Amino acid sequence: MNPQPFLRAFTAPAWLCAFSFLAAMVAVLQFSLRAYVPGSLDPGGFTFANFIDLLKPLYARVFFDTVVICFLTAVSTLIVGYPLAYALVRTQSAAIKSILLVIVVTPLFLGEVVRTYSWIIVLGNNGFINSILLNLGIIRQPVQFMFTTFGVVVALVHVTMPVMVIMLAAGLSHIDRDYQRAAESLGAGPIRVFLTVTLPLSMPGVVAGVTTAFAWTFSAFATPQLIGGGRVNMISNLVYQLGFASFNFPFAASLCVAGLALTIVVLSGLRLASRRLENIGPH
Amino acid sequence: MNKAADIGAKAQQETAAVPDEGAVRFSNVTKRFDAVTALDNVSMSIKPGEFMTLLGPSGCGKTTLLNLAAGFLSPDGGEIRIAGERMNDVPTYKREIGMMFQNYALFPHMSVAGNVAYGLKVRGIAKPERDRRVQEVLALVRLTGFEDRTPRQLSGGQQQRVALARALVINPTVLLLDEPFSALDKNLRASMQVELREIQRKLNVTTIFVTHDQGEALSLSDRVAVMSEGKVRQLGTPQEIYRQPCDRFVASFVGDTNVLRGRLEGIEGALAVISVGVIKVKVPSGAVMDVAASAPIDLFVRPEHLVMTEATPSCATSGTIAAHVYQGGHVDTYIECKDSSRDRLLVRSAGHETMARWPTGSTVGISIVAGEGVAFV
Amino acid sequence: MPCSAYQRLLGFAGKFAVVLILGFLILPAVVVTIAAFNDKAILSFPPQAWSWRWFAKAIAYQDFRDGFRNGLVVTAWSSSLALVIGAMFAFALHRYTFRFKKVLEAILVSPLVIPHFTVGLGFLILAAQIGWNRGFAVVIACHVVLVLPFVLRSVYVSLRNLDQSYERAAASLGASPLRVLLTITLPLLVPGLVSGWLFAAMLSFNEFTASLFVTSQRTQTLPVAMYNYVREFADPSMAALSVMYIVATAALIVFANAFLGLGKVLNIEQSR
Repeated sequence: MNPQPFLRAFTAPAWLCAFSFLAAMVAVLQFSLRAYVPGSLDPGGFTFANFIDLLKPLYARVFFDTVVICFLTAVSTLIVGYPLAYALVRTQSAAIKSILLVIVVTPLFLGEVVRTYSWIIVLGNNGFINSILLNLGIIRQPVQFMFTTFGVVVALVHVTMPVMVIMLAAGLSHIDRDYQRAAESLGAGPIRVFLTVTLPLSMPGVVAGVTTAFAWTFSAFATPQLIGGGRVNMISNLVYQLGFASFNFPFAASLCVAGLALTIVVLSGLRLASRRLENIGPH
Repeated sequence: MNKAADIGAKAQQETAAVPDEGAVRFSNVTKRFDAVTALDNVSMSIKPGEFMTLLGPSGCGKTTLLNLAAGFLSPDGGEIRIAGERMNDVPTYKREIGMMFQNYALFPHMSVAGNVAYGLKVRGIAKPERDRRVQEVLALVRLTGFEDRTPRQLSGGQQQRVALARALVINPTVLLLDEPFSALDKNLRASMQVELREIQRKLNVTTIFVTHDQGEALSLSDRVAVMSEGKVRQLGTPQEIYRQPCDRFVASFVGDTNVLRGRLEGIEGALAVISVGVIKVKVPSGAVMDVAASAPIDLFVRPEHLVMTEATPSCATSGTIAAHVYQGGHVDTYIECKDSSRDRLLVRSAGHETMARWPTGSTVGISIVAGEGVAFV
Repeated sequence: MPCSAYQRLLGFAGKFAVVLILGFLILPAVVVTIAAFNDKAILSFPPQAWSWRWFAKAIAYQDFRDGFRNGLVVTAWSSSLALVIGAMFAFALHRYTFRFKKVLEAILVSPLVIPHFTVGLGFLILAAQIGWNRGFAVVIACHVVLVLPFVLRSVYVSLRNLDQSYERAAASLGASPLRVLLTITLPLLVPGLVSGWLFAAMLSFNEFTASLFVTSQRTQTLPVAMYNYVREFADPSMAALSVMYIVATAALIVFANAFLGLGKVLNIEQSR
């Protein structure tokens, strides 16, 4: 083919960017293998002690909780997000589509802090929901939402919802309507069409959405920190505590490395399980 | 290859470099895409001012050949010359070509005048001169007054004229047309074809035209190159291609055709005598020169060269009318016939009275217009 | 389309579900708006009295002002750098073949799935190791890495949707590759570039977790300042600030939708 006139100039900055990112990741890896010297910011010699410490029940528990919260969030977001994505793609009205898009996309750019804060006001003991329920006389005592896994997951579902809807909608929008029309013409009712045609064909979007929701939840910090309030802990909270409360950066780094390994294992597991499904995606 | 042959080849290349050898010249051009050979050793010379059409089914290599001429691709073997200069390593923008694309590719962010002036601007031509030439060429394509429109505000035909103006304003050495009519509806297409041909003749610009539409190829071209599977099957005037196709592929691809089973009786100089049923026809002997006498032969005859008559023993063959298809200007009649090597014969007759004379289901005799038809083994 | 009663019922149930889900999405914004206008410092629903005073307090609060200013500095730099780097790389990715192409792409896209606290910790340690103090450079570098995948995707999608015959036409008219790039490719890519930049800017301005690690008191961005405020104080200034945030973001999204077509940018237009 023809020469590639700007190749070097166009890729050089990308390489620089990639190298600085790699250097940061190598720094984490390197720190995870160093000893913690109490009272010093500089790490000691090479050791595997950090990774051995990770096996303590206290930390293993946090890993387990993190994965459970991620799964609960990803699956809940999928169930809640699917109808919205479907409506977004299928609505015939441009105005409704615009409104849906703005409502779905805006929270994506609000940031975790604003959204988490809002949920504190909604879920708190003298927050919106409890006030309403108390005023209506449905409950006598405020329901405890704060500092529970339920509260954390509700807020996290809200956080991951926009990206899930966007990914599902992208998958749905690439399904040719004629597949559904063909199924209808063959006598399939709407639910059957959905279950036998639409849903299977949207699997690539579902896989992408669940994967991303999982990764985003794993990355969440402010939500479990503020709504979990120390009683619901995820890896992110532990990393922050270790780093900024006890300055044990080597152990924080080893948590990051282990967390990353866990993410990779779970995500590639999801990929593998879905590969068969992806084969039947729309052409 | 030994040295002498090498020098010989070089000498040949040098003679090929003489400008009047052809405005565009492909010599042994080969192009592969991974394992697929898109062009296999294609040679072709296009004369100055000639309108050359590359005709073939999709995947035959016609577009690849055009893209090689344009410089969007470079050949894996062989040589491309434009106006005598070797072009293999010359990038598109230094080739002085004008090109019209299937979707016109009018720059959506520029006005009509901006589109047409683009090539002049690139060449550093000053504004007064530029404006004059834009006006001139817009007048040529009858679009004066449309300067400030954007491409989106134009109809399909107008867009095409802008694309033509944009390609012509730079006085290209060669004009390349990539299926430019495929997006137009039938009526507009015919009038645009006439207009394009008039302008091309007026400017006498060498033109390579790519199409899969054989009607377009026959009506527009000085010469047609029929291509398939990366090779040029036949290169000739539209009449030659239509009347004397060189092989079965060309005969069936260009125009409608009937295939009658026959037998070779003998060769009489340039003519072959073929028996079909009880009669004998004489056709050019080209493709059946080396065939043994009394070998089975397929006779290719155009639908308009078959005539329906009363079924008598002296007819070439006979059959039962399966259907008449009224086409306005003529009637296509499909006939079940035992001597056809395809399922039905197609006979094209001028008047609709044939429909009344031979209703569906009736038996007709069929004879062949003298001197028409081509024979293949 | 003809509909049976059963289908109509189904359609109604679907619409009802969608409205409920939309309610879930909007609920926090509505609640926070009510809270922001509550005159008292303590939450109560419904509020007894209304007031604007928390807005005034939020605007006057020095940490928010500094955070806003720092955020603008970081966002302007990181989104613009990411735009240039990402657009050039997207072009190379779409048009060229070169060694380690897949590797480079994988590295640059990986921040999408790598937790932000890991990226933040990485840049924090890296900065310490090469002896940089925690200045803006580290924050900006970290943000560039985090928003680059979004720019990359946005520009790549526009490139893929760009009919290459425009560029071929320009080349056939005698324009050199540089000229084609500047007069044809770039102008036609403007929507993709603008939306990529806008997304990058909004994400960078709101980035929190990694910023918490790499910013210092001097460089803390608005989300970090907000987080610190929430941990220390409970008055509705934060609610007021959130309302301003929500309004500004929604306005930007409406603008982006009107001028760029979000459906196209997000690649969710129904085919047929």
